Amino acid sequence: MTTTTDAPDTSDAALPADRLAAHGLHLRYGDRTVVRGLDLELPGGAVTAIVGPNACGKSTLLRGLVRLLAPAAGAVTLDGADIHRMPARALARRMGLLPQQPVTPEAVTVEALVRLGRYPHQRMLTPWSAADQAAVEEALRRTGTDALRDRPVDQLSGGQRQRAWIALALAQDTDLLLLDEPTTFLDLRHQLDVLDLVTDLHRDAGRTVVMVLHDLGQAARYADHLVVLHDGELAAAGPPGEVLTAELVERVFQVPCRIVPDPETGTPLVVPLARR
Amino acid sequence: MSPHTLTPARPGAAGAVAGPGRLARARRRTLALIAAAAVLLVLMTGVALSTGQVSIPLPDALGALFGSGPAGDVLVVREFRAPRVLSALVAGAGLAVAGSLLQRLLRNPLASPDVIGVTGGASFGAVLLLATGASQALTPLAALGGGLLAAALLGAFAWRSRMAVTRLVLVGLAVQAGLAAAVNLMIVRFPAELAGQALQWTTGSLYGRTWPELWGAGGAVAAVTAAVFLADRRVAVLDLGDDSAGGLGLDPHRTRLGLLLLAVVLASLAAALAGPVGFVALAVPHLVRLLAGPPTPATLALTALTGALLLTAADHLVLHVLPVHGLPVGAVTATLGAPWLLVLMIRQGRLPQRSSR
Repeated sequence: MTTTTDAPDTSDAALPADRLAAHGLHLRYGDRTVVRGLDLELPGGAVTAIVGPNACGKSTLLRGLVRLLAPAAGAVTLDGADIHRMPARALARRMGLLPQQPVTPEAVTVEALVRLGRYPHQRMLTPWSAADQAAVEEALRRTGTDALRDRPVDQLSGGQRQRAWIALALAQDTDLLLLDEPTTFLDLRHQLDVLDLVTDLHRDAGRTVVMVLHDLGQAARYADHLVVLHDGELAAAGPPGEVLTAELVERVFQVPCRIVPDPETGTPLVVPLARR
Repeated sequence: MSPHTLTPARPGAAGAVAGPGRLARARRRTLALIAAAAVLLVLMTGVALSTGQVSIPLPDALGALFGSGPAGDVLVVREFRAPRVLSALVAGAGLAVAGSLLQRLLRNPLASPDVIGVTGGASFGAVLLLATGASQALTPLAALGGGLLAAALLGAFAWRSRMAVTRLVLVGLAVQAGLAAAVNLMIVRFPAELAGQALQWTTGSLYGRTWPELWGAGGAVAAVTAAVFLADRRVAVLDLGDDSAGGLGLDPHRTRLGLLLLAVVLASLAAALAGPVGFVALAVPHLVRLLAGPPTPATLALTALTGALLLTAADHLVLHVLPVHGLPVGAVTATLGAPWLLVLMIRQGRLPQRSSR
C-alpha cells in the first residue's frame, strides 16, 4: 500500500482496525422489521458479546453484520467501507462466521470440513497450496482437533463438533470472527471450553470476536464490550462493568435482580431476586 | 504466538500430516471402482455392438466402431448399432450426474429429474410435437425444450423464495404433476396410433437415434458434466448450509440456481436421447454412495460411468436377452437396479443418516 504524508485518512489509520459498524440499520424478514434504526460501533481487536431476550433481534443483527441479510435501510461498514459494496470473497477473507445451525455434510471428515474454510482464498482451477494446508493445520491445532482430523464430523460429540466448525472459520484466516450462539446445545464444560477457546483466539491470535450469547454471566465474563438489544433497538453498549446494571436487566429482561461482582473474576453477575 | 489448544496437544503432532488415513483409503477404493466400471463399460459397449442379427466378434465390433474391418461390419456397427448403444451410454451418464447433483442441491435423497419437473417437461415437449404432426426427427429437440420450460417454471416460482430448498421441491413436484397431467390429457385425446407413439416415448426408448443427435447431445452432456466437475468446490461449500456458504463468500441462491440449471440441462439432454428413463438418476447416486462413500469429484466420475453402464446394460437386455419385445428401457433399469440397491442397503445395515449439526 502506498502512503503519502498528507493522505486524508491518516486519522483513521491511528484507530484500531476491524471496526464493524451499523449506521441507521433496519433489518427485515418479509414485512416484519426485526432491527430498527440501529447505530452501533463495535471495537476492533476486542471481544464483543451481543445479548438480549429471546426475539430481540440479536441473531438477526449478526446476520446483518455478516451480510447474510441485506439491510432494508441503513448500512453496515467495515473500517468505513460498506460491506454490501465489497466483493463477497474479499469480505469472506476479512470476516468468518460460525452460524447457529450449520449443516454437517454426511460422513465428511474433520479435515475435509476445515479445508472448506479456504474457499474464499481459492480460485477455480488453482490447486491446494502450501499456504492453504498451513492454515488448515494451524486451525486444527488451535482448536485441538488435529487428533480428530480423520473422524467423520457427524460422529463427534457436540463439543468436538463445535470445535471442528470453529476450526473451519479459523482456516478462513480472517481478522474478524462472528459466532451466533456458539454455546447453545452444549453442556457447561463444553460451553466453557468454547468460550475459553474464543478468548484465546482473541488474546493469542489477535482476532476480533463478535458473538451472540444467551447467558448474561458468561457474556459479562468473556466479553470486553457488551451490546444489549431490546426489541430491535439498542438498550445499552459498553464495557460489561459499566453497562450491566440492575435497572437495565429489569427493563430489558423483566427480571428484578441484584448485580454482584463475580467472586472469580470481579465481572458483574446477575442474581435474580427471590420471589416473596 | 504461543500454541494454545483446548485439550493437551498430542506430542509431536504439530503440523504433522496425517498418515494413510480414512481419506486416502477411500480415494484408492474409489479409483479402483472407477477403473472397474470403465472396463465393464467398454466390455458392455463391445458386447452390445457385437450382438444382433449379424453376430460380430467383440474385438471386431469395437474396431468397426472406429471404421476398421470389413465394410459390412462397419456399416452394421456404425450405422445401425452404435447410435443406439452410445445414446444409452451418454443418456445414462447424464442422468446419473444430474441425479447426484440434484440430491446434493436439494438435500433430499429422493431428488431426481422427476422431482423438479424436468421429466414431465421433456414428455410434454415430445408429445406436443407428436400432436402437431411434425417430423419425429425433431422429438429430441422438443424434449430438450420441454425440459428447459419446466426449469424456467421452477426458477420463476422458486426464485421469489430465494431458491429455498423445501420450496424448490414443492414447486418442482407441482410443475411435474401439471405437465404430466397435460401429457396424459393429450394421449387420451389422441387417435390410437399417435397415442401409441406418445406412450412409447413417455415410457422411455432409445429407438431410432441418429449420429447428428448423438454428436449434439453427447457433446453437450460432456460439456455440462465438465462444468459440474469444475463446480465441485462450490457444491461442497453449499453442502454446509446457506448461512455457512454465505459466510464463506458464496451466494447460495445464485449458486443453487446455476447448478440446478446444469442438472436440468443434463437431464433434458438425456431425456431427449432416451426418453424419460426412470430410476437411473434416482438410484445410481445411492449405489455409488454405498460403494464409494460421500461425494467427491472421483465419486462423480464413478457416478457417470455407473449410469452409463446401467442404461447400456438395460437397453441390451431389452433388445437381445429378454423374451418380451417392446419393453421400455425404463422398466428394465428399475428391475435391474432395484435389487442391487436393496442388497447394498441391507449389507450396509442401515441407511446413511444425516445430522443437522
